[in-house]
Amino acid sequence: MGNISIRELSYAYQTDGNTLPILRAASLELPSGAFATVSGPSGSGKSTLLNLIGALDRPQHGNIKVGVVELGELSDWQLAGFRSRMIGFVFQSFHLLPVLSATENVAWPLYFQGIKRSKRMEIAREKLELVGLKGHLNKVPGKLSGGQRQRVAIARALATEPSVVLADEPTANLDRKTAEEIVVLMRSLNENAGVTFLMATHDPMVVAHALQRIELVDGKLIEQKQIQRQEVLAHA
Amino acid sequence: MLDLFYLATLNTLRNTRRSLITILSIAVGCTALISFGAFINFSFEGLRETTIRTQLGHMQIYAKGYWEKRIVDPGSAKIENLSTLQKALENIPEISSVTQRLTFSGIGGIGNATVNMSVIGVDPERDEEFVDFEIVEEGRNLLIGDSDVGVIGRELAHGLGAKIGDWVTVMTTSVDGIINAVDFQIVGIVRTGSTEYDSVFVKIPIQLAQSALETDGVDRVIVLLEKTETLPIVRPKIEAALANMPEQYEFKQWDELAGFYEAVYSLYTGFFRIFAVIVSIVVMFSVANTMSMAVFERLGEIGALRAIGAPRRTMVWMFLYEGIFIGLLGSGSGVALAYGLSTLVDTFGGIPMPPPPSMSEGYQAYFPITFEVLASAVALAMTASLISSIYPSWVASRANIIEALQKK
Repeated sequence: MGNISIRELSYAYQTDGNTLPILRAASLELPSGAFATVSGPSGSGKSTLLNLIGALDRPQHGNIKVGVVELGELSDWQLAGFRSRMIGFVFQSFHLLPVLSATENVAWPLYFQGIKRSKRMEIAREKLELVGLKGHLNKVPGKLSGGQRQRVAIARALATEPSVVLADEPTANLDRKTAEEIVVLMRSLNENAGVTFLMATHDPMVVAHALQRIELVDGKLIEQKQIQRQEVLAHA
Repeated sequence: MLDLFYLATLNTLRNTRRSLITILSIAVGCTALISFGAFINFSFEGLRETTIRTQLGHMQIYAKGYWEKRIVDPGSAKIENLSTLQKALENIPEISSVTQRLTFSGIGGIGNATVNMSVIGVDPERDEEFVDFEIVEEGRNLLIGDSDVGVIGRELAHGLGAKIGDWVTVMTTSVDGIINAVDFQIVGIVRTGSTEYDSVFVKIPIQLAQSALETDGVDRVIVLLEKTETLPIVRPKIEAALANMPEQYEFKQWDELAGFYEAVYSLYTGFFRIFAVIVSIVVMFSVANTMSMAVFERLGEIGALRAIGAPRRTMVWMFLYEGIFIGLLGSGSGVALAYGLSTLVDTFGGIPMPPPPSMSEGYQAYFPITFEVLASAVALAMTASLISSIYPSWVASRANIIEALQKK
């Protein structure tokens, strides 16, 4: 269950003794299997929102619920388990481990679930084939292009079969063509696997592919009219 | 666990130059520690065997009460049933030799030259194994059947201006308190390696010593073993063998009698400990620096690992394993280097060393590596590596995930 429910979420940064509010009692309902973007200008709080949903940080006020899990009630240890089982992350800078091969990178999140190495490697190979990297299984990130690295990162995010994939500016470091390929790939994975995708982006191309478009305006989440899947497909 | 160790290994090897410098510093420290420890052990062993085989034996047996009265009234507690005692000890296989001694201090000289002497009455037949460390410079040692002859230390001979064939008179007090004197002819001049001992050393046949003290007894029986290491198991056997004898006995081991050895042992052990502390500090700083830099440089990866589900504990272990791996490589290289150095020293016939304090002879030093020295050096290097990795590991585990992810 990858539905996301946000209620009255507030978050502010403390800088030089000043309080800088980012999220102000923001609320959102995102159904399971959504393919959504959060857009807004730089500093509007897109990454903060993803960090809070992904349990990398704790809300100062309000509640976040992913599936049936209320994040506010979890300990540090439980949050790590939550991230391991329910969330997949795709970062702007990929954040792959440079000493490991593509397969080992993808297999690594499964280690935290106690899965045997042979099984982990088997799953990792499957996921890499799924993102079109069958011929690059043993290459280290340094030997891959930016687009290929992001595919590895997507495969890693999907390795544990999470309910939700959170992608923070997934196309920011990619050229136009590669960026579009990555978005199309994520959308097909969303369609085929039913995984909820929530992407923070200010890239109009990515927004154009989204089924749910959310804007962050003055710390509030404003959901645009839900777009019919057929419309988006036609547009693409 | 293996996966974490695998990842730690790869991470250690990725910054080859920095890791090599750290590993080298551990290896050099470890080599120095092993070599120094081996050298000290070699020195201890040499000193121990010299002490045992020239003077003390492995164990000394006295008549009950001798030790307490040995200074004020040494003649009151002599061993009388010598042959029965020797027979009882013959059945203990670890014993190499048993001999008897009658010792006394006296004033002796040639003509007008008089000096203090430490006289030992020995049985030449039984004393062969105790002369291993006596080097005859002139003349000969005592032989079976000798009666009124003796050998003296080199320094004593030099002090008296004595030469082979000279007659020496020694005055002492008999067991009954009467002043007595005996004469002997010098048949040999020896050196034992100890300058102090050589300046008072006089060895005469035991019958001559008994006549000087006017007694039929001996003050001690000295037991020499095949191997020093067997002493802990032999002592109870000796005590049991002599428990039901008509005479009562008391016992002293060589290490209870060798004050000089104990002082040297304590001094060198102290040096070794100080050296070990210095090496540990160097290793700790070196590893802590490497690990701290590794944590700082890999904050982005730490953030990513935490984001994909790594608990704090995993981060701690990951960096601890890196410290352990560095410690393993460093101490392993140190062991290899130490063995190389030891072999090199063996090949070149040892390192010439000057005479130790109060000794007259220099010696060739070797580095015979023992398991104890090896294990303690490796354990020290590993422990230092592990301890110095704890703080960087803790820092890695406490890193703020979001801030860490902002690092490339």
